[in-house]
Amino acid sequence: MKLNPMELYNLLPKTNCRLCEAKTCMAFATKMALGDVLPEDCPPLLEKGFEKNLEKLRDLVAPMQSAEETGIKLDESKCTGCGNCVVVCPVDVAVEPPTGRGKAGRSRDTVFIVENGVSKIINLEKCRRFPPDRLNCRVCEQYCCTDAIEIW
Amino acid sequence: MEDVVCNGCSLLCDDVVVEVTDGEVHSLGLCRLGHQHLLSSIESNSPQASTRESGKATEVSIDEALERAAELLLSSERPILYGWSGSTNETITLGLELAKTLGGIIATPANLGMTQALSHTLHSMDLGIDLEYVRNNGELIIYWGSDPTESSHRHPSKFAVLPRGENIPEGIESRTIGVVDVRNTETMKMANHRLIIPPGMDSAILEALVSEISGTSSIASDVAGIGPQELIGLARNIRKADCTVIFYGSGIINSGNADANLSGLQAFIEAVRGIGKQAFALPMAPESNIMGAIKSLSTDASTSSITDIVAGDFDAALVVGDDALVELPGSAAKALAQLPLVYIGPPGITSGKARVSICITDDVITGIGTMNRLDLVEIEFKQWNSQKEERLAEHDVMARLLELIRKEKS
Ligand code: SF4
Ligand code: SF4
Ligand code: SF4
Ligand code: SF4
Repeated sequence: MKLNPMELYNLLPKTNCRLCEAKTCMAFATKMALGDVLPEDCPPLLEKGFEKNLEKLRDLVAPMQSAEETGIKLDESKCTGCGNCVVVCPVDVAVEPPTGRGKAGRSRDTVFIVENGVSKIINLEKCRRFPPDRLNCRVCEQYCCTDAIEIW
Repeated sequence: MEDVVCNGCSLLCDDVVVEVTDGEVHSLGLCRLGHQHLLSSIESNSPQASTRESGKATEVSIDEALERAAELLLSSERPILYGWSGSTNETITLGLELAKTLGGIIATPANLGMTQALSHTLHSMDLGIDLEYVRNNGELIIYWGSDPTESSHRHPSKFAVLPRGENIPEGIESRTIGVVDVRNTETMKMANHRLIIPPGMDSAILEALVSEISGTSSIASDVAGIGPQELIGLARNIRKADCTVIFYGSGIINSGNADANLSGLQAFIEAVRGIGKQAFALPMAPESNIMGAIKSLSTDASTSSITDIVAGDFDAALVVGDDALVELPGSAAKALAQLPLVYIGPPGITSGKARVSICITDDVITGIGTMNRLDLVEIEFKQWNSQKEERLAEHDVMARLLELIRKEKS
């Protein structure tokens, strides 16, 4: 699904106050259209007077956050089994703490496990992009040097 | 599943498990390279020996092959004993004794580059930290002319980039990563600082960083095509970090400027230590026991470099564990192929060309002996029992060969 950045922009405070990472409202709107930021990442939007806009924006981006609209794919043919995804995924570190210190995962409670030389996603539903968390996490993709992981 | 130690590369991972049921191999934690190595070690594990006369191979018993090998080596005036970078420390010790007994020369593939690097004054600078220390303290990591994504797959996830450690509470969030290379490498995807430089310009970059870090002068224009902003930014982060570690690889060693590069690294470490911060440089090399081989062989005066093979200094060769005819540069491989050859190791091209060839069981399966990890930490193999089939350890073959030759000599 695609969102129109202009439509999102029109609901922002349009002050270019630089309080967000994007620094300008247009840049922020573009990022929001891609799902990289959420309405709540704009601090002025959370202040009095913007309740309606905030609500509208949330409605607009909600479909992007739903289970159907996000996904993560791992191409085993590109994977070197380096274990970067296992170590960097916050879910893995929470359910099997030694992975956070670089150890190979074994519990099978993690999102990723390196098995027979390649990484596999064994608990996709635990990924924090999906409900209930719906976080805009993509660190596994960011640190997969061979681009074996793809997130949308 | 059982604990094993992987010898697929010099990281010698010991946090991995394996199970073999009905010929199906199942591993957890092994990277692609390690799993492939395990599979091929299991597949090719059929201890056997052969001799070859004018191109015709005959299968023989191990005893017969050992006798033929002893004969061939004893009749040589000056044999070269080559390989060892994938052998256990115990096997290397036997190799050294055999070289002494035969009056031969012992050499490893690393003789040219890495041995030189390790004997450079850089390595007299108290660099004795291990990879666990890097995990716990390495705040600024630079892969310089080394590419772990290519050959030491788990180096970033286990030790240097992603894991959390005592003083690195947030893992990657607590570290800054740099990569310096002559091309865009996959490892660069993880880096905050990516420096692609022309070949041979490493020492120029190091020099610029040194002046910026020590505050003697500030970088005002491009150095080796890298803009001043980028270099000043990197220097600023190095100044900020409590502990900087450079992992240098073939790009530093085999670029033709090894000496200048290593001196540059030394000056860099001095500069960072000069501002009261920790700094270290550690080598990167993939062969499983390259460090053990260098350590053992560098104490021996009768070691040699592969260039001597080209010069035709030898009249016979024993190759142990290294598919030398594939891995050596063309001219050296050609010279080696012309010598009467004894080969001990896994099956490969060299085993198919040698006059005497003994195919052994890989140490990942025998699970006996020790190797030195990349940071020189000694790792002991673990025995595991799912592999019940026939085994013939490289170490045992070497021990029997040494015994035979000693007996003949006395
Ligand atoms: S914080 Fe919000 S209002 Fe301020 S510039 Fe960013 S998007 Fe615009
Ligand atoms: S997106 Fe985040 S939570 Fe989901 S699998 Fe990747 S690292 Fe884990
Ligand atoms: S980070 Fe990428 S290459 Fe490494 S194990 Fe995960 S999917 Fe494979
Ligand atoms: S990183 Fe090296 S030692 Fe570790 S599993 Fe991979 S090949 Fe084996």
